[in-house]
Amino acid sequence: MARQNKGTGPWLAFGVPIALGLAWVTQGTGVVENDLERNIYIPDELTMPLQVQAAYNDERIFFRYRWPAEQAHVYHDMLRYEDGEWIRHGSSMPGPNPDGTYEDRVAMLVDDGGVPDFGRYGGYITVGDQMRFFSDSASPAEVAEHPYLGQEKGKSDVRKYLPDTRTDRGDWRSVADADVLAAQREAGYFLDLWHWRAGRSNPIGVSDDQWVGEYRNSDAGSGPYTTNWDSESDRPRWMLDPEKTGQRALRWEDVTSGEVDFDGIYYLSEDNRTDFDPDHDWQNGDVIPRRLLRQPEGSRGSIAVQGQARWEDGYWDVTLVRDLDTGSPLDDKILADQGVYDIGIAVYRNATGSRWHYVSLPYTLGLGRQADLQATAFAGSAPDWDDEWFDMTLFYPGQVDWPLLVSRAHAGAPDIAEGTPVQARHSEKQLALYGVEMEFREAITSRWWMTLIAGLIAMLGTTLALLPSFRSIRQGDRS
Amino acid sequence: MNGTHAMLTHLPVGFWVLATLMILVGAFLSGRLAEISRAALLPVLVLSLLGGLAAIIIGFLVWPMEANLASPLTRNHILMALWSLGIFSMITVLVWKAGDAAFEGNRRWALVILALTGGLMFSSAGTLGGHLAGASTAFSDVLGLMGWDVYTTFYSPFWVIAVMVLIGIALGALGLMNQRKAG
Repeated sequence: MARQNKGTGPWLAFGVPIALGLAWVTQGTGVVENDLERNIYIPDELTMPLQVQAAYNDERIFFRYRWPAEQAHVYHDMLRYEDGEWIRHGSSMPGPNPDGTYEDRVAMLVDDGGVPDFGRYGGYITVGDQMRFFSDSASPAEVAEHPYLGQEKGKSDVRKYLPDTRTDRGDWRSVADADVLAAQREAGYFLDLWHWRAGRSNPIGVSDDQWVGEYRNSDAGSGPYTTNWDSESDRPRWMLDPEKTGQRALRWEDVTSGEVDFDGIYYLSEDNRTDFDPDHDWQNGDVIPRRLLRQPEGSRGSIAVQGQARWEDGYWDVTLVRDLDTGSPLDDKILADQGVYDIGIAVYRNATGSRWHYVSLPYTLGLGRQADLQATAFAGSAPDWDDEWFDMTLFYPGQVDWPLLVSRAHAGAPDIAEGTPVQARHSEKQLALYGVEMEFREAITSRWWMTLIAGLIAMLGTTLALLPSFRSIRQGDRS
Repeated sequence: MNGTHAMLTHLPVGFWVLATLMILVGAFLSGRLAEISRAALLPVLVLSLLGGLAAIIIGFLVWPMEANLASPLTRNHILMALWSLGIFSMITVLVWKAGDAAFEGNRRWALVILALTGGLMFSSAGTLGGHLAGASTAFSDVLGLMGWDVYTTFYSPFWVIAVMVLIGIALGALGLMNQRKAG
């Protein structure tokens, strides 16, 4: 026994730190990877900065947004001519569009207190059950058969909706009755959605204007774009007017070059279009935008671009302007001096769309009153923007929906029931990491169990190996 | 239940800190203090295991099991707590088995290695518990410098899990063979 005490036996204790050390240095690897079949794409950067300013005069309010982007993505939904066919590039897809044909965007949700949970939890409350592009997204066929969403509204996916527009918060199908939805809207239970698009609205100096209730709806009127496609003839309806632009189409190599000439022709609008000429000698690589830009009308045309929104030196700089009172209280949140409101902002960049955006936590906006983001009162037609930027950190939210957050599977559900704001418990970075892990929830949980048990097995084996060296020394052995 | 768990965790953490110090003193120092440390180690370890078991059992009742398994922080807290319990169970068994001779020869270094490894584990479990209670500590940043962001689940790739199991099986088999040889 004395020989064992002095021998190598006790050093077998290193079995535990070696096993656990190996687990430590490799932890977090082997599960998280892109899986486009399951609508999973994890962005390289999980957070990004956004700078915001706000100002208002007697009639209008201005928001200025500035965020970094490696390049400007202004092309969206393009038709490329190839061997006699017009091929579509730029529809919604998981992750970045490989051709770069998906527009940059900034979207802002605004509330006036009509949706109290929005001020505490931001856009999370709009992420419902089986949303589009989630791994468990509702099938288009099922949505299309839904009596309200499918048959009445003609939708085939589940988009943002507010929790109380469903009788069962965990079931997207349980849309409340039409009279209840109408009453909710009258009572202010909806979110205003400012939606600037680098391709489908910015070239003509406007922003889209939408609202979120039982779905992500558009304001009344017509939007800043329509579809340039003749499905009967399988070809575009319009092309660039050669008399006005000197060309009939864009070129694919220009569209995918990553360069943008904001003063050149990179879009199709009512001002530069003409009827499509099927007899023209179209060449492979000719490109016609699948969206025709047009001046929005009605409530949907309430938001305009102030000046010129441009990408320059690695940053987008976008300023939007709207009347404080648009006269459309069922579509917009009416703002006023001395008001405090809630906002949440999302940015799309790197040619990604749908849920591959970066979102902010909710912040308060004050018009003459104390708030996170203080809108500066000014006289005149346009603000000077002399004040400091308000810095936000945006984060990739992953696949976390509201039904989950208020369920037993979320330890913070009781906090939500008590109204504890999200900022009190979570940072943006933390939420981003959690969002990614939720996309691999089952695989990570399973691997975690295995790691836990493997560590305990290593400990048990090491104990057995050490026991012979730790035998009690009987009388007489001590000499 | 959250408060009860927080209260109970003081027992194992306190005893594990004390046991680690006693092992270090017993291994590196001589004299009266070292003798007392060696002599009193086993009861401290036994108490730490009892306290650890109580804290862990109550800990599983703080939130529903679905929530425990859905949260990276909670998963990590559970893993580090169970690994801490595992390592100090090892030490307890070894000290109990060796009796007065637990610190003789190279044995002391085995105890030191295990105690320091266990120290990292229960420190991690503790700081994770602080996060869950809404009071994080700077120790999380230390763990970050060591390559682990505590907001991500601690899990390993398959090959590492296999190596860990193989280490356990190989060392276990070696131990059993040595025990048979020793009669």
